[in-house]
Amino acid sequence: MIPLAHFMLISAALFCIGLYAVLSKRNAIMILIGIEFMLNAAILNFVAFGKYDKLHMGGQLFALFAIVLAAAAVAVSLAIILNVYTYYKNIDPTVIDQLRD
Amino acid sequence: MNEFTSVLPELIKNITTGMPHFLPEIVLIITFIVVILTDLFYPGKKSVHTYILVLTGIVISAFFTILQYQSSVNGISVFNDTLKIDRIGIIFKLLFSAVVILYALFIKGNTRMQNHTKGIGDLYMLLPGALLGLNLMAMASSLLMVYLSIEMVSLVSYLMVGYVSDGEKQSEAAMKYALFGGVCSAIMLYGMSLLYAFTGTLSLSDPQFMIRLAEMPQSVAAIAIILVLVGIGFKLAFVPLHFWSPDVYEGAPIPVTAFLSTGPKMAGFAVLIRFMEPFHTASNTSQGTPVFDFVAILSVIAISSMIVGNFAAIWQNNMKRMLAYSSIGHTGLILMAIIVNSNDGIKAMLFYLMMYSIANMAAFMIAGKIEERTGIINISSYKGLGKVYPLEMVCFVIILMSLTGLPPLAGFMGKVLIFSAAIESYSASNSLWMLSLLIVAALTTVVSLFYYFKIPLNAFLRQSDEVFIVKVKRDALSYISLILTLLLILWGIMPGLLI
Repeated sequence: MIPLAHFMLISAALFCIGLYAVLSKRNAIMILIGIEFMLNAAILNFVAFGKYDKLHMGGQLFALFAIVLAAAAVAVSLAIILNVYTYYKNIDPTVIDQLRD
Repeated sequence: MNEFTSVLPELIKNITTGMPHFLPEIVLIITFIVVILTDLFYPGKKSVHTYILVLTGIVISAFFTILQYQSSVNGISVFNDTLKIDRIGIIFKLLFSAVVILYALFIKGNTRMQNHTKGIGDLYMLLPGALLGLNLMAMASSLLMVYLSIEMVSLVSYLMVGYVSDGEKQSEAAMKYALFGGVCSAIMLYGMSLLYAFTGTLSLSDPQFMIRLAEMPQSVAAIAIILVLVGIGFKLAFVPLHFWSPDVYEGAPIPVTAFLSTGPKMAGFAVLIRFMEPFHTASNTSQGTPVFDFVAILSVIAISSMIVGNFAAIWQNNMKRMLAYSSIGHTGLILMAIIVNSNDGIKAMLFYLMMYSIANMAAFMIAGKIEERTGIINISSYKGLGKVYPLEMVCFVIILMSLTGLPPLAGFMGKVLIFSAAIESYSASNSLWMLSLLIVAALTTVVSLFYYFKIPLNAFLRQSDEVFIVKVKRDALSYISLILTLLLILWGIMPGLLI
């Protein structure tokens, strides 16, 4: 039996890796991967703690919804990034900054 | 499996009894499906059939929402406490319906979008989906529903911003919006997973939620709550999370900007109220220290939103950027009404949101019309436009006066209501936060005069060097914005019609 604390540690580590990728990567697709890391950290938490909520299965249910929504969000974001690429021939968010004060 | 058999009948009964209360949303779902099929097989010229179907569906759903109003005095929980239907939620839902209908009319009147090569049908198709997400946001009373509805609205908004991409700026705005939104929703999801880990329940109205959260160390609970607030704050665009809003507002097509500055923002307030509800009931019943000090953190956010929004707006020359920053300032002011947390505060907030959404919609309609006809997007180029577009510019000035909060317009009444609710709360509690909020709100209202009045100054008092050779033709949008302006005046003189 793996203690719950281990799940929480792994998910916290995943979340931090994801956040680091989001903040440091200079490629929109790498940022999307970072977002995916953060989502999976949360999903892991939900599934691990679903153990205490056997009747309603809230955590498991939430995990399923989150996976589906993450897929949808990635599909939309990839389409948008593709669109950016056709105009700029580049997907580095630090370079693409026509809109600013 | 056997452990579930005892509860299954009850769960199913919960779902079947909940269905009648879900009627407005069911209508929207049916509209959504029908609209997809119509747009594929029988769109008509410029998707006119799609347009009519969307409007009909939204009106029918709004009609069913009105019918709910009578039966929901005390609030009804349906679907195992996932949704809560009460008076505030229903008022929000009606507001959303009105905003989406105005948005559809705006798209219909915008020739640039109508003549786009991709066609406009897909954009109409998104409207019932957007309204469904907004309605769910207003009713959400479990963490799952909060996340689902926020994501629903976000996905639709990303698509709207990127949809008619005919330039570099627009695709850039869509990318910034989608990436920033994705990060914020991931952070919010992590916060929710922590809350679930601490409490073992997803329902916000479950008493266990607050009891178990109060047992956690205060700092740990605070981290989880702040992570959830990040996601809500992205929708509201309050200060630490406002970076996306000026860029997205500038890059998006004008009707989409008008929608983003009204619909999702109001829904963000609805979700914030829903999320804070259990904390307030808990602090009212038990004596000990509150689980989380919403007043302090929201006050800091509101004060910085008002200051950043209003002062940054002064330096803007682009019309849409200016309205974006001013809407950040308005967010701060409306947050003040939420911090007050009394019946008066909620009433004041609803009145102000109504005024704000109407004024913002009308302002963007006129700005869009001028951009379309003359290509002017900067405030400094508005010189002399007052003589070219007399009706539109007079309406524009009245709308901006209402946003500033000058009598006798609805904006003035809204500000009076918020300020009086705040003053009442200050005299009752003597809280230092309330006092500083009041002072900052009063000061920034004066500051807002400077940037709002740049437009009438340029349009009416300054002469332009170039002569406009534009054919002035009033269309449906001019008259819609005229009606909205008249509504602002009417509600300013007779606020009793609403409160």
